[in-house]
Amino acid sequence: MAFAWKASGLTYNRYLAVAARVVRRSLKEQPRLQAERRGEMELRFAKWESGKQGENKSLAEVNAADMAEHAGKE
Amino acid sequence: MNSLRVARAAARIRPSTFVAPLQRRSYADAVSDKIKLTLALPHQSIYKSTDVVQVNIPAESGEMGVLANHVPSIEQLKPGLVEIIEESGGSKQYFLSGGFAIVQPGSQLSINAVEGFPLDDFSADVLESLQASLK
Repeated sequence: MAFAWKASGLTYNRYLAVAARVVRRSLKEQPRLQAERRGEMELRFAKWESGKQGENKSLAEVNAADMAEHAGKE
Repeated sequence: MNSLRVARAAARIRPSTFVAPLQRRSYADAVSDKIKLTLALPHQSIYKSTDVVQVNIPAESGEMGVLANHVPSIEQLKPGLVEIIEESGGSKQYFLSGGFAIVQPGSQLSINAVEGFPLDDFSADVLESLQASLK
């Protein structure tokens, strides 16, 4: 069975995150404000080479760029 | 003479060793017609091994209702409504953002999802504006 999310280059994890985000956004004011904090992710990473820290990048941005690159390849 | 005594002793022991165990059934092990539901989100568990009558889930393979003694299975869920018919006869509806439902042997059902809210928490106005923004 071919899933629509797979065909569009998303991972299952990403698909779940998108679905959860839409659900959070469609809530009433009170529960929405509480819930939307759960969707935030601010992980950053840097590659260390020969004792020096490389560029500090946001994981979310790099993931999004990677997925856009791989979309429709499979 | 000696062997006769042994035989008699054996005959005396025998009846007590062959008492059949009592076949009695108590209320505790009577077969339950309820299913134990666990509905868990990463940040909260809505149901925790609670006895319910029936659970209707939106599986990828189609809508399905789960009763007690359902065959064990793993189902991927579509984002959609999960309906839970409770012991009292009332039913509750939650909208889950997608996840997995696992029917385990022994009438246990575990549903995992990322987000799940009762219908009352959704706002019709917000939904309409979201829908309009998609067009």
